[in-house]
Amino acid sequence: MTTPLLLIIPGISLAMALLLPLLPQQRPGLLRFAAAGAPLLQLLLGLLCWRYPPSDLHQAWLPKLGLTLDLGLDGLSMPLVLLAALLTTLAIFVTPIDQNRPRLFFCLLLATNLGVVGAFLARNALLFVLAFELVLIPTTLLVAIWGGRRRAGAAIRLVLYGAVSGLCLLAAVLALGWFNSNGVDFGYESLAQAQLSAGQSRWILALLLLACGLKLPIAPLHGWQPFSYAESPIPVVMLLSGVVSKLGAYGILRFGVGFLGDTWVAWSPWIAAAGALSAIYGALNAIGQADIRRLMAYSSLGHMGLLVLGLAAATPLSLQGSVAQMLAHGLIVALLFACVGLIERKTGTSTIAELSGLLNPLRGLPLTMALLLLALMAAAGIPGLAAFPAELLVFVGSWSAFPQATLVALVASGFTAVYAVRLFNRVGFGRLDNQRADWPLTSWAERAPVLLLAVLVVASGLWPRALTGWSETTTASLALRTMPPAPWSISSSLSSASPDAAPTFEVLAS
Amino acid sequence: MTPTTLVEPTAPAPSPIPPSEHRFAEIIHRLEAGGSMLPDTPENLKQIIGIYKAYAVPMDFYWRDLLYIAEQVFLEPLPAFKYFLPQEYLDRPNTYAGDGSSLRVWRGAATAHPELLEFMEKGETGAMPKLWHHLWHDRINMEFAEACMQAMFWHQDMGGRFNEYLDSDAYRSNADRAIKAYFRNNPLLLGLYGVFPEMFLEKVKQLSYYANLGLFWEVMAPVFFEMSDLYDEGALTSVQQAMEFLVNGIFAVAGQPIYHQVQIAGEWFEIVPKAEGMTWLHEAALPYVEAVFYRGFPFRGTKSYNAQVHQIPDKQADFHYGILYADIFPVGSAGIPPTLLMQDMLHFLPSYLEADYAVHRRGDHDKLIQLGVTFQRSMYNVTSAVLQALRAVLHHPLDDPDPDHLLANRRFFEEQMDRFLRPEARLDAIQDPDYR
Repeated sequence: MTTPLLLIIPGISLAMALLLPLLPQQRPGLLRFAAAGAPLLQLLLGLLCWRYPPSDLHQAWLPKLGLTLDLGLDGLSMPLVLLAALLTTLAIFVTPIDQNRPRLFFCLLLATNLGVVGAFLARNALLFVLAFELVLIPTTLLVAIWGGRRRAGAAIRLVLYGAVSGLCLLAAVLALGWFNSNGVDFGYESLAQAQLSAGQSRWILALLLLACGLKLPIAPLHGWQPFSYAESPIPVVMLLSGVVSKLGAYGILRFGVGFLGDTWVAWSPWIAAAGALSAIYGALNAIGQADIRRLMAYSSLGHMGLLVLGLAAATPLSLQGSVAQMLAHGLIVALLFACVGLIERKTGTSTIAELSGLLNPLRGLPLTMALLLLALMAAAGIPGLAAFPAELLVFVGSWSAFPQATLVALVASGFTAVYAVRLFNRVGFGRLDNQRADWPLTSWAERAPVLLLAVLVVASGLWPRALTGWSETTTASLALRTMPPAPWSISSSLSSASPDAAPTFEVLAS
Repeated sequence: MTPTTLVEPTAPAPSPIPPSEHRFAEIIHRLEAGGSMLPDTPENLKQIIGIYKAYAVPMDFYWRDLLYIAEQVFLEPLPAFKYFLPQEYLDRPNTYAGDGSSLRVWRGAATAHPELLEFMEKGETGAMPKLWHHLWHDRINMEFAEACMQAMFWHQDMGGRFNEYLDSDAYRSNADRAIKAYFRNNPLLLGLYGVFPEMFLEKVKQLSYYANLGLFWEVMAPVFFEMSDLYDEGALTSVQQAMEFLVNGIFAVAGQPIYHQVQIAGEWFEIVPKAEGMTWLHEAALPYVEAVFYRGFPFRGTKSYNAQVHQIPDKQADFHYGILYADIFPVGSAGIPPTLLMQDMLHFLPSYLEADYAVHRRGDHDKLIQLGVTFQRSMYNVTSAVLQALRAVLHHPLDDPDPDHLLANRRFFEEQMDRFLRPEARLDAIQDPDYR
C-alpha cells in the first residue's frame, strides 16, 4: 500500500468541502449524498488500511518549526479514524433534508471531520495541535449559526473553553518539542525518546491535562458541555460528543501516558480520583436534569470520567478498556443523540416534563423509543451491549491500581441506570398528549442512521473484539503498570508462593 | 322501524326559560332542542354510522357467544373452547331480524351476518385450522365482551332488579338445581360445591350476566345494522335522526325479557326465568350504559393508578373509566380489551370510513386510534339517546309549554352534564372535529 493513501483520507473531506459550494443549493438530496460520500469513502479507505496497513508518511512542511506532515495509523488512531468517518457520515444523514444553508452546513461538518481525522492521523505533535485547533473553528460556527435559541452563549463558551484548551495544548507541545534533548523535533518517535526534567514534565503534564480535560471534558472543566450539547444542532452534537471529545482522551493517552510516563504514574492517584469524581458528578447531575440533551451531556461527562480512570491506572487492561470506551461511547452517545434528534424533530421539544407516552405503538414514536431504550441500556452498561466490555475492562484493569476510585466509578455506573430508567419512564410511558401527538411517523431515511448505530452497538457488545482488538498491542506497549496475576493463577501457584505475598502491581515506568 | 316519532324535532322558537349557565350550556341547549351531545355535522354522521356498522358485525358474534357460554358452556371447569361458537348458535335466529321476527328491527337475515361468517372462515391471515386463528388472535376477540360483562357484574346499584334478584332465595334455588344437574356425573366438583357453595353460586351469577349482556346486544346488533342500511339508502341524514332512531329502538324493545336459562343434558333449566319480568331497558340497557359507558374500570395496560393515594375513587359509583372518559391513545397496546375491540371493528369498516382515516393523522398506521375516537363519538350519541329516552320517561316533552316542566328537563340535563365536568371526560374533545 502506498503512503499517499494516508494523505487521501483527510484530503477527501477537504476536497469535498471545497467542491460543495459549487453544487446547486436547490438539490438538498444531491448535496447530502455528495457530502456523505467523502466520509463514507474515508471509512472504506480506513478499512482498506486496516486490511493492508500502509507505511507512515513523512513529508517535510515547515522544517524550521519542526512541523512535518507525518501521518500514520496504529492501534490507537485506526479505530478512531474509522469512528470519525462513520459518525460524520451518519451526522450528515441525520441532518434534516430541509436544512437551512445546507452547503455551508455540510462544509463545516466536513471541516470538523478534517480536523479530527487529521489529529488522529498525525505523527507530529505540532500537526496534532494544528488539527486539534482546526476543529474549534467549524464547530463554533456550526453552533453559532444553526444552534438553538441560546446559540450565541453556547458558541462563546465553546470557543472560550476551546481556545484555552488549544493554547494549553500548544504550550505543552511546544515545551515538549523545545525541551527535547534531540533538538526541536515534534515527531512522536523523537518525543518518546525525550529526556525531560521532573519539573518540566510536571508543567507539561499539567498543561496537557488542562487542555485535554477541557476537551473531553471532565469535571470541573465541563462548563461548556451541557450548554453546547443543549443548543447545538443534533449532527453537531453527535460529532462533538462522539469524536471531538475523543481528541482529549487521545491526547492524554498519546502524550501524557506515552511521553510523560513517570509524571503520569506519580500523578495518577489524583487523576484517577478526578475521573471517579467526574463519573459520579456527571451521573448525579444527569439524574436531576429536566432536558434530555442536558441529561445526555452529564451522562457523557460521567462516562468520560470512567475513561480517565482507565487512563490513570495505565495497566494494559485499563488502557485497552479506555480505548474501547472511546469507541463504545462514541457509538452510544451518537445513537442517544440521534434518537433525541428524532424526538425533538417530531415533538418540537426535548424537555422531559413535556413528553410522555412516546412508546405508544400507533401515535407515538415506538421505534425511536425502542432504540433510545437500547441506547440507554447500552449507556448503563448492560451486558451484551457495547459499553459493557469497555467498562468491564476499565474496572478490572483499574481495580488493582486504584480500588477506591474504581469502587466510586462502579457506583457512578450504577447511577447511570437510575437516570436511564427515570428518563424512559417519563418520556416513554404515561399518557400521550392528544394536542401534541399529531406528528408524522419517522421515515426510513430518518431511521436508517439510527438503526445502523443500534446494530453496531449490539454487534460490538456481542463481539467485543470489535472494540478491544484494535488497540491490544499498542496499549500493551503504552502501559505503565502491570496487572497483578488473576485470582485463579494466584490460587494455582499458592503452593509455590509465600502465603503472605499479597498481589500487587509493578510500575514499569522509570 | 323508521327514524321518526318519539323525539321531538328541533324547536326553532326561542325558549321560554333563561339560558343555562352550565359549563356545557351549549350542549344542554342542543339536548333541549332534541339534539345529541355530538355536534350535528355530516362528518360526525358518517363517522358514527360507519362505526355502528363495524361494531355490529363483531357484536353479532358477541351476543351469540355470550349466550352460548351462559347456556351451554356454563360451569365447564376448563372452558378452553368457549370462544369456538358452534354452528347452532351461528344459525340461532336473532329475535329482532329476519322474516320470522315479531319485532323486526333489521331487514336483514336472522342468522349470523355474512361478513362475520366470511371473516370467521379466513380471518386476516387466510384459511387455517380454527385453533391457529384463535391462538393468533385472528378472530373475533371475546375478551372485550367479557370485560363489559365483568363491569356490569362488578358495579352495583345501577338500577333495575337484576342484581337484587341474584341475591334472592329463588335465584339461589334455581342455580342450585342447575349446578347439581350439571355436576351430577362429576362427584369431585359436586363435592367441591358442597364445600364451597358460594364460589359456584358466584360463578353462576356471572353467567347470568353473560346472558344479560348477550340479550342486550342481541337488540343492538340489528339496530346498528339497520341504521347503517338506512344511511346507505340516504334515509338517515343527520346526527339527530340517528339519535332519534336509537331512542325509538330503545322504546320499541324496552319491555323485551331478560332471562338466563341453561341447557343440561338436553333439559333447559331456568335460572332467571322470563316470568320474573326482567326487562331489556331497566335490567340490561341502563345498567350497561352506567357500567360500561360511565364507570367501567381501568383496563390493564392502559394506565396505572395508585389506589393508596386515592387515584381510584373510594365509591364504585364515582368510577369514571368508561368509554365516555377513556383515553383512546393506549389503544394499540398488545392484548388489552380496548385494542382487541378496535381490532375487531377494523375488519368490518365500511369503505368510506377507511378512506376517511387514510387522509387523517397517520393514515393507515394509526387507524386503530382514529377508529377508537370515532367509537367514542358514536357512544356519546348512544348515551344522548339514552338521556333523551330517560327524559321522556322521567320528565316532560321537549316542546312542553309549561316553563316549570322545561326547567325540570333543564335540571335533568344539567345533572347529566355534571358527570362530564371531570377532566377525564371527552365531551369537550368530541365537539372538536380535529379530535381524531
